[in-house]
Amino acid sequence: MIFKKLILFSYFLFIHNHAHAYIDPGTGSILLQALLGLVAAVGAYITLYWRKFKNFINKVFKIKKKD
Amino acid sequence: MSKKNYEFGSFRDPAGRIFYKENNVYREINKNGIKRFEFIKKDNLINDLIDNEYLVNTEVSEINENKIILKHEKLNFISYPYEWTFTQLKDAALFHLDLQIFLLNKNAKLIDASAYNIQFKNNKPIFIDILSIDKYSDGEYWYAHKQFCENFLNPLVLCAKKGINFNNWFRGNLEGIHTKEISKLLSIFDLLSPTLFFHIFLLNRFEEQSSANPKTTNRKLNTTRKFSKKSYLNLLNQLRNYIKGLENKKIPSNWDNYSEKNTYTFKEEERKLEIVKKFVDENRIGFLADLGCNEGKYSEYASKQKKIKVIGIDFDLNVLDRAYKKSKKDNSNFFPIYADFSNPSNNLGWMEIERKSLIQRSKFDGIIALALIHHLTLAKNIPLEDVIRWLTSLAPSGLIEFVPKEDPTSRIMLKLKGDIFPNYTEKNFQDTLSKFANIKNISSVTNTERKIYEFSIKS
Repeated sequence: MIFKKLILFSYFLFIHNHAHAYIDPGTGSILLQALLGLVAAVGAYITLYWRKFKNFINKVFKIKKKD
Repeated sequence: MSKKNYEFGSFRDPAGRIFYKENNVYREINKNGIKRFEFIKKDNLINDLIDNEYLVNTEVSEINENKIILKHEKLNFISYPYEWTFTQLKDAALFHLDLQIFLLNKNAKLIDASAYNIQFKNNKPIFIDILSIDKYSDGEYWYAHKQFCENFLNPLVLCAKKGINFNNWFRGNLEGIHTKEISKLLSIFDLLSPTLFFHIFLLNRFEEQSSANPKTTNRKLNTTRKFSKKSYLNLLNQLRNYIKGLENKKIPSNWDNYSEKNTYTFKEEERKLEIVKKFVDENRIGFLADLGCNEGKYSEYASKQKKIKVIGIDFDLNVLDRAYKKSKKDNSNFFPIYADFSNPSNNLGWMEIERKSLIQRSKFDGIIALALIHHLTLAKNIPLEDVIRWLTSLAPSGLIEFVPKEDPTSRIMLKLKGDIFPNYTEKNFQDTLSKFANIKNISSVTNTERKIYEFSIKS
């Protein structure tokens, strides 16, 4: 659920006003970059939660070790 | 007062235009471009770019509220990407990405990704279009991404993955290799590379979808999120790493081992080197063209002199690429470019003068054409008189080697064709050369009667 929200959040919150360049940027290229940005955001999200999960496991492991 | 000559090829950016005056290069920046230039000037960015050898030397020549005139350093020779070898284009691509990364860290960006904005100075790429630099706004996309792929990535991939030289294709299109064209050539195994999958295959898919459904695409575009600077830099770095690892797929060529396989003896080579040295010194050559240069051995003496610039022209991309790498390593002034003399770069683009022909850009102090004319006359059937007319039009002085039919190389050329060139004789060569120029010296080179003629143009 949070995962889905994050994607929607990252996709719709920052509605971007496209600047004008004198070359035709190629709409496909912008969509591709949006996708790459999204993939990177999801990657970052997964990394963040993976780290949290690892920390959690470590904590549990350490507690168990102390016992 | 001498007249301003506007550069016809400098029209794409309405903010400014190049013009030439008294043999100098200037850029006129109009009202639309003043804001952009003020940003570049601010915080010393322009000097940072010049000091870090990213930008050609540039100074303000005139300034008022309606326009700014900049004076640019004049480069010896303007070459085009379709005249570059694989490594030259690769160096230009890496340079472009490095410049983007440098600029982005200073909150600036490049608004286009044209390979024509990069030239070579002392074998190092350098940026020539200051108006392509502008302020970066937070969240912006890389608008020139597709142009970068077509000007740099796709031609390099064509060479590295498919073993097809990009030059003639690039020259035919001028904007590089279209994504939709190269995507058709990639195999399923090629697409296992994330770079090729995203920047060629998927980019092409998105482009196709965009043109098929423009309304839906427009809706999507209006809802795209901001592109973070971190993502922008990641994208540039990913492409940089990929391109850095690309290697030219070896395609064997006729002249690959020419310097080892040729029919000259060591003594003959020494003799030729001596003649070139004497010619360069006596004529005080500053800008020399080595035509049919191979690896540039015979112009090496000239290219090692600090004051002499040498352009080597040949049609074998393998030897040219090796020559470029060697020249970079030796830090010499030899710059090799690709051209087939029977079909050199012509006037191209808008009004057929946007990109100039090789002949129009060829204004040398001297030329050397050693072991060249038989390749044009005997192998390509070009009339001897036309070859001599062309050679003597390139510079006020030069060396031309006459290779007779009895020479082993000529014999190989005529073996299947037969001797269909009764006019190809030394006597005719000498008479024709005398028509266009003064013959200053004739030196024997080999036992097979190869001779080097030194000419100077009649004043």
